[in-house]
Amino acid sequence: MRFRTQLRDSRTFSKLTASLSSLGKVCWMRLEYEVIRFTIIPDQGTQVWASIPVGTIFDDTTYELESNSDAINIEVNISVLNRALRSAWGSTHSQLRLTKKDKTPLLALTVLASEWTEGNMALATNNDADGFGDDANPEAPADTTGDRGPRERQTWITQEIPIKILHESAVEGLHEPHCPDPEVHIILPNLAQLKSISDRFTKLASTDSKSRQLGVMAPEAPGMHSVSFSGSGASTAATALSTNSSPKLELSANMHGSLRLAIATDELRIASVWSDLVNPPLDPAQMTQEQMSQLPSELNRKREASEGFESGWAKVRIDGKDWSRVLSIGRLSPKVVACFINEMALVLYVYLPGNRDGEESCLTYYINSFTT
Amino acid sequence: MTSVSLSLGPPALVRLHDALICLSKFSETVAIEAEPDILRLSALNSTKTGFASFAFEKGVFFEAYSFSSSSGGRSGNVSLNRFFCQIYIKALLSIFRGRIERNKDTAVERCDIELHEDLQQTECRLTVKMICGLGVIKSYKLTYEPAAIQHAVFDKSKATSMWTADPRFLKQLIEHFSLSAEQLDMYSDSGRAVFTSFTTKITEGKEVLKHPVHTSVAADKRDFQDYMVEENMHVAINLKDFKAVVAHAETANATVTARYTRPCKPLQLEYRFEGVNAEFTVMTRGQADIDDAPSSTRATIPRQTPAPIPISASKHHDTRPSVTPSTQMPPPPPRSRSIRPLNGSSTQENLSHKASADRPATSGLSMDFDSLFVPADDDRQWDEMNEEEEPQDILGWDASGTQDAFGASIRDAEPSFPKQDGSHAEDPDDEMGIPPTQRLSQVRQYGLFD
Repeated sequence: MRFRTQLRDSRTFSKLTASLSSLGKVCWMRLEYEVIRFTIIPDQGTQVWASIPVGTIFDDTTYELESNSDAINIEVNISVLNRALRSAWGSTHSQLRLTKKDKTPLLALTVLASEWTEGNMALATNNDADGFGDDANPEAPADTTGDRGPRERQTWITQEIPIKILHESAVEGLHEPHCPDPEVHIILPNLAQLKSISDRFTKLASTDSKSRQLGVMAPEAPGMHSVSFSGSGASTAATALSTNSSPKLELSANMHGSLRLAIATDELRIASVWSDLVNPPLDPAQMTQEQMSQLPSELNRKREASEGFESGWAKVRIDGKDWSRVLSIGRLSPKVVACFINEMALVLYVYLPGNRDGEESCLTYYINSFTT
Repeated sequence: MTSVSLSLGPPALVRLHDALICLSKFSETVAIEAEPDILRLSALNSTKTGFASFAFEKGVFFEAYSFSSSSGGRSGNVSLNRFFCQIYIKALLSIFRGRIERNKDTAVERCDIELHEDLQQTECRLTVKMICGLGVIKSYKLTYEPAAIQHAVFDKSKATSMWTADPRFLKQLIEHFSLSAEQLDMYSDSGRAVFTSFTTKITEGKEVLKHPVHTSVAADKRDFQDYMVEENMHVAINLKDFKAVVAHAETANATVTARYTRPCKPLQLEYRFEGVNAEFTVMTRGQADIDDAPSSTRATIPRQTPAPIPISASKHHDTRPSVTPSTQMPPPPPRSRSIRPLNGSSTQENLSHKASADRPATSGLSMDFDSLFVPADDDRQWDEMNEEEEPQDILGWDASGTQDAFGASIRDAEPSFPKQDGSHAEDPDDEMGIPPTQRLSQVRQYGLFD
């Protein structure tokens, strides 16, 4: 078993791991000859399956992989990997390899960081704090450490990240979720905008439920309590339970370029609507024309807008905080196709920009819809 | 009757605040020592493996500084020009926080700090007055408590390894380390200075992913202003302490010098700026090298320095104080009020449990945890001694704490400390025999003092 490569784009790799780490700590990383797969399946919340061509993050000319099963499966703490990759920013040389130390398998990241330094001539003469040994000559230390002028400072950094090697049989049972055909697929608007609005909504709804709790506390003050408040007291209990999980956003879209983000609580109801978004065509290579025309999304596409505003929409209810974590992938400025399976799930296909050779880096997010 | 009064300008106030923040990373309380020419703030951490001290010079740092002490109120006491007490750092910090660097009309123009201790008074307070713009004066009165001040003593002249570096450069090195890393190992390897972070935590075999990341950073020696370090000698210190030092040195823009000898012996980080001398003495861990130890002390003398609390003295009537080879710090004067040591006996117990619990964790790495002090009267400390470990070191501790356990009547009869101290420090044979910071109970075994 052997894996060794130079990093081609440590910044993209680092951003990718940062986005992935928001969903869960334990990441199954599958190294193959052509692609690197990252999978995170948290106990609850959104799961992500990413497939990144080797050349997107690694230098394919130095990429070495040897394994009996044509792939190496490892389990790594993705936030630890992300933190380690920070050392590789702006470096001229960084290598990642699989190794072993004291029987613990490791991913070793070796980085040569170069940085221009002005030298420390000025400070070097300031030796008054030096009471060291019998060194009477303040100039002497300069000789021992040599050239002090401006030069390139080179620092070697090694990060040893503990990992777990997974046997092929351990990952056999893992596969992407099966979903029914989506009713609507649509390209999401700018993720930064979508995220800031979503976060704003989530925040409004959570502060709303907090203030409501405080509001209901007041009637229970001495002298204020009466039978007539018992009704609202019961609803308080329900609110208190629901505040444990964050507010749910309603996300809906149709096949006519509209996306609607809404949140509703007892006291507020807000919605943002985007229109003129793109409903991308499906790949004709995947299926026949006839099959395609029977898909729910294509049927929806054919619906006339005149059939009424409410028809042809697919809606999901998603957790505000979880959604915010999913949208952290926005830092890689990808193109995102959202597939709506009405009242069931939202599947996001996230395509990273700047891929060479037409090979696409794709991350697939599976987000469950909550029932009302 | 002792009184200390001093005035600080706004820049010095910022410096004082920075120093307090740095000290707060070591301990919850700061020890304040006033001398005629110097004010020293220091903190010793709970495991007694790290000691931070800032000495502010009278003429440079302060706008005004006066210290007066008279032994009039303390009949029979040895009069020394020294006053000390301790204060909860958070209480001091809350006074200085946010009062600095404000371009408001009521910005602080001067800060006066006064302290008068009079035995006739039942209540003594530290008063801090902030003289602000527009005639606003804010006054604070803080309670302080008497304390036995402990100092780590470090003999710079015996250091065999040293380096000097810009704090910004050190910070760049630190930034590569994982946030959960606890220890920092440093060594020199063929022209490069290597810093490695590691964590000595036991992790379950199953939880491989929770194992800490080992990060090592190899920098060119030329990035240091001086670098004279013994090749391939590993010395490890607490990373958190190192971070605290570098963070403060950066705010002070002062070049940091590290001096040390061997693993399991103290390391000192030092820098000076604007009339302030900052010294941090921390215990190191690592693989002790037996061959370098003086043979006379190798086998039986434990490597730890004893606690300055004279448990042995209370058992044996030999009240000869343990003396240190230090010339830096004469012991503080005896106190007539009842003094509680920095670490009461109950905390000592806890500490020792903690220390012994730490130990197995370290064995895998053949690193050894070592305290700068031995908790008083804790024999388990000796039980666990590893044969391979380093024997006694030249590190000594100020004997000031020895006052505490003595009754007032005994103390009155004590000899003057500075004399003893001085004579021992000048004795060239001092390091040859028994290191002077031995517990007397240990020393007795050799029959030298019987």
